[in-house]
Amino acid sequence: MECFWTWCCDILRNPTWFYLLTTVAKLALVFAVILAFVVLSVWIERRVAGWIQDRPGPNRAGLPLFLLRPFGSKKTQPLAGLLHFFGCPPNGRIARLCRWLRLDREIPTFGLIQPCLDGGKLFLKQEITPSYVRKFYFILAPMLVLGPPLVAAAVVPFASGVNTAFGDISMCVANLNIGPLWVFAVSGLSVYGLTLAGWSSNSKYPFLGGLRATAQLISYEVAMGLSVIPLLMVFGTLNLQEIVSTQATDGWTLLPLWGEGLSLQRWVLWIPMALSFLMFATCIFAEANRTPFDMAECETDLVGGYHTEYSSMKFASFFMGEYAAMVIGSAMVVTLFLGGWSIGFGADESLAAWNQWVAVICQFLMFLVKLLAFIFFFVWVRWTLPRFRWDQVMKLCWLVFIELAVVNIVLTALILYFVK
Amino acid sequence: MNPAIQAILFYIFALGALASALGVVVLRNPVSSALSLACCLAFVAAIFFGAGATFLGIAQLIIYAGAILVLILFIVMMLNVKDEKPAAGNWFYCIVGVVVAAMMAGTISSAALRLPGATKGRCPVHVLAEHANELSPVPRGAQATHPPTTPSEYGGMLPPVSMKEGESDISLLGKTLFTHYNMSIVILSFALLAGALGAVAVGRKLHRD
Repeated sequence: MECFWTWCCDILRNPTWFYLLTTVAKLALVFAVILAFVVLSVWIERRVAGWIQDRPGPNRAGLPLFLLRPFGSKKTQPLAGLLHFFGCPPNGRIARLCRWLRLDREIPTFGLIQPCLDGGKLFLKQEITPSYVRKFYFILAPMLVLGPPLVAAAVVPFASGVNTAFGDISMCVANLNIGPLWVFAVSGLSVYGLTLAGWSSNSKYPFLGGLRATAQLISYEVAMGLSVIPLLMVFGTLNLQEIVSTQATDGWTLLPLWGEGLSLQRWVLWIPMALSFLMFATCIFAEANRTPFDMAECETDLVGGYHTEYSSMKFASFFMGEYAAMVIGSAMVVTLFLGGWSIGFGADESLAAWNQWVAVICQFLMFLVKLLAFIFFFVWVRWTLPRFRWDQVMKLCWLVFIELAVVNIVLTALILYFVK
Repeated sequence: MNPAIQAILFYIFALGALASALGVVVLRNPVSSALSLACCLAFVAAIFFGAGATFLGIAQLIIYAGAILVLILFIVMMLNVKDEKPAAGNWFYCIVGVVVAAMMAGTISSAALRLPGATKGRCPVHVLAEHANELSPVPRGAQATHPPTTPSEYGGMLPPVSMKEGESDISLLGKTLFTHYNMSIVILSFALLAGALGAVAVGRKLHRD
């Protein structure tokens, strides 16, 4: 045991191995979080949709209660039997937690298992590849949609750093100096997936969907890039970890309530920042192909758009790719405008001074909470606003957003120069 | 990074870039050609990343792979270009092709051979860095003894800028572009603006009423 421990320490002391091991650990964590959030956001989407439309939503699928049958059938209160079996008091904390999770009801756990069952259903469905498709690209396209959002997640910081005995760890898989650009570049590549899906399906509706996706994504990428420039002018860096630590000490971009944020300049800068936030969030909606902008797959004009001909897991890849893009988009908005992992009000520094690891874990949880909140906002918008018309979508981008973004850049420059 | 790993990665990416560039020419389906051009650009971007020019690499990905090639693909798909038939042994095309290829190869190799230290098999950037003091650009304005007449006097070869600790290549690029090359940037952006206006003028609908 001692020998093994010293061996581990020796390996960790080697900077290359240390870097490699910590990077792999962070990579696994980020990957797990993204995939879990994809599943979770599907569930949130369906539950919130049900709530907004005044219907229950998926609430039947819960924990498999038949596993509890040895403790008594459903009718004879399996929960009570289970609690009794483990010797828990019927009114204790565990019992209350179980009741809160609705384990004693007919319908347990809010239907939380629904996305897993959906996944299983799609996995077991018959896979149909129509005979007239261009096979190679037909198979390549779903991969090109699902891959880029997962790669783009590499630069998103999910907590601040810690200094260990072996070296510093920055809680971000790749601490690049081009953070937002990396996200734009890589998530911009997913347009290939949509285009190729539309083309290789070799039928009319997918083709129109692919063309629409190409035009829309390219246009909104321009507006998205221009809309964050004021923010980058204020922060003076493209490193996302630095942007977030600045926000942790000086106040979030949209909530400058402590630190440097109390100066006049930051309060005046709030106006262009809010404009920038509005534009960026809208562009993220358009990039993720979400409902007010889901021209590429709107079922009223195009049946299913670019994924009309897809079935089973290939369709599921498109589906998951859309949700992964939504998660990454939310993560970018949270990082740039809502303070990323920062807990706020100067709590980061005091926590880090007390215990670094506790601070990192709290910041990570804070990041997840903000991410969930923004995903909820995404879903809320989807089920509230009706879909735009195609020409309105393009006009909004080219005639409103791009001009507004340029004006916003000039405005920010003037404020930075004149208001101190 | 370890220089050996860097060299290995460079050769992998360079081979990938060459293979996909070959694919652009060899593949008969225009969509396949466009996609292998995208692969080629991505490999070149990877080489840029390896050389430390992260901004150049990411600009390559955003602008070429992310926008221009998508537009090319868009047009190829929209016009529904069919597979290209191989040209049936026309000797005239062969000769013209060989001549043009030879001219291109000559231009590129002569330019490459003229880079500092190229004949000694050394990296041009390292050689430039060693002779940075001798290569300082010709002073302009009040310091210049006479107005510039030859191309080399207009600027000459820029000395390589050594990055300071903590400075990213983006800020370096911005400083170089907006100080040393400010005039060229303004002229170029006017040219681009003219191009955009021309496209709008050509593409707009004429209302005759």
